[in-house]
Amino acid sequence: MAKHMMTLTVNGDVYELMVSDNQTLLDVIRDTIRLKGTKRGCTTGACGVCCVNNAKGEAVLSCITHALEWDGESITTIEGLEANGELDAIQKAFIEFGAVQCGFCTPGVIMSAKAIVNKYPEPTEEQMNAGLAGVLCRCTGHVKVKEAVRQDHELREAARHAAAK
Amino acid sequence: MLLPDHQYVTTNSLKECLRLLAESREKAMVVGGGTDVIFNMRLKLFQPDVAVSIRKLDELQQVEELTNGGLRIGAGARLADLAEHPAINDRYPAFAESVRAVASTHIRNMATLGGNICLHTRCAYTNNSEEWRKGLNSCFKTEGKICHVIQTSSRCLAINNADTPLALIILGAVLTLQSAGGSREVPIAEFYTNDGMDNTVLRPDELLTHITIPPVSDRTAFLKLAPRQGMDFATVAVAARCDGTGEKVSKVSIVVGSISTNPIILHEPSRIVSEQGLGDEAISAAVDSIRDELGPLTNLFSRASYKRQMANVLVRRVLVALRES
Ligand SMILES: Cc1cc2nc3c(=O)[nH]c(=O)nc-3n(C[C@H](O)[C@H](O)[C@H](O)COP(=O)(O)OP(=O)(O)OC[C@H]3O[C@@H](n4cnc5c(N)ncnc54)[C@H](O)[C@@H]3O)c2cc1C
Ligand code: FES
Ligand code: FES
Repeated sequence: MAKHMMTLTVNGDVYELMVSDNQTLLDVIRDTIRLKGTKRGCTTGACGVCCVNNAKGEAVLSCITHALEWDGESITTIEGLEANGELDAIQKAFIEFGAVQCGFCTPGVIMSAKAIVNKYPEPTEEQMNAGLAGVLCRCTGHVKVKEAVRQDHELREAARHAAAK
Repeated sequence: MLLPDHQYVTTNSLKECLRLLAESREKAMVVGGGTDVIFNMRLKLFQPDVAVSIRKLDELQQVEELTNGGLRIGAGARLADLAEHPAINDRYPAFAESVRAVASTHIRNMATLGGNICLHTRCAYTNNSEEWRKGLNSCFKTEGKICHVIQTSSRCLAINNADTPLALIILGAVLTLQSAGGSREVPIAEFYTNDGMDNTVLRPDELLTHITIPPVSDRTAFLKLAPRQGMDFATVAVAARCDGTGEKVSKVSIVVGSISTNPIILHEPSRIVSEQGLGDEAISAAVDSIRDELGPLTNLFSRASYKRQMANVLVRRVLVALRES
């Protein structure tokens, strides 16, 4: 397969990559850049564990899109959430509420949850349901996940107040 | 894990895209959001030589408000953007509903309207992995000569499972199909054929570029039933439109989808409620009349009897929704 040069920004780092026509964005994240947080599940759009955020902070599925489609774009994966050694509020909330069991779905669920709070800092029940419907968890279910998503805002506010002091 | 070998091409102008489609004949496949193209490539149901991306074509991503009150939507517009577009929600609530009914937020963040309209038919037998399919003989979709749904059928009976076309049909939307040789306008009601292998009149050298919806002041409704509400193809979906207010109507149209190879426009129930109004009795009579027009339910992701009953339920609900809107 012929390879093409492409530029992809992942978690703020710019990568110049040689990518073949038949690689998906997921293949490039896991196998070329070797960031293994993003999971490979169904590879057909049905499970959501390959979810990453696009430049607008929206949830997209990396398994059903050509990698070359993303030339020049910027994405965030689960590895990009922590900053300066500190976990993101949404990650802390997942830990606090036990929204994790086996953990396989967790990167996809967290990136989906992150997309929800990016768009709706205080999401309604309906907005949470819509944002989580495309990602499946076979252990925990969505109840604890939603508790964590609700908590995200409070943690963020608390951190903001602490920083202001 | 890699997709089957093929060439991927990004086009930077509409002209370039149309030239490429003309040159590559049947060997090219347009990629809008890719959510269905890549799915089918994984299952080895699509094996294009060239995948032609239209994502960089800005002119296909606009929503233009027409002076007559209608809208002209680029085929490359993302479903997520259309679902929240103020003019769409304002003027065409049933269409907005049908857009939100497609798949999940994740997929709507990638998928395009053009891709939903041109969505290939699906089949309970064939839409499985290659390993699964090996247990059966090849069918029309896999270079065989039979249809597993009805073995004696001379054509593929896979179903049209897309949501937005139903709303667009009742709204009288018109599709602009462009090729290197020119452009033609096709009412979406005439776009679909009853051949599961080749279910639209779109030619391989053509691109769906725009969807034009005329101004509509009638009442409209869209309803979908799926195994899972959050993300699933429809078991049955229905869109309907009527004039008048309350129970009074003179013109009613009803379209049912996910039942057969093309969306079914129901004539008899429309006639009944157009004549008798939207009272409970007339609605019941209308529902009782749909059986013949639905024809045999063939390609079943769910039991035929259930599907038939749910078609009745949705037609009833959609008529009640019209009455109450
Ligand atoms: C898990 C899952 C759930 C889904 N659920 C639903 C659902 O509930 N309802 C539903 O309707 N669909 C559903 N889909 C199917 C699909 O995601 C949607 O139909 C989507 O709208 C397709 O749009 P796309 O832009 O991704 O299409 P693509 O995959 O890019 O294209 C689909 C087809 O249209 C052709 N095409 C695309 N754009 C054009 C154009 N401008 N001109 C000519 N041809 C074109 C392509 O060549 C291809 O044949 C689901 C898919 C998955 C994976
Ligand atoms: S791996 Fe992408 S949706 Fe399942
Ligand atoms: S924690 Fe196991 S699948 Fe979600």
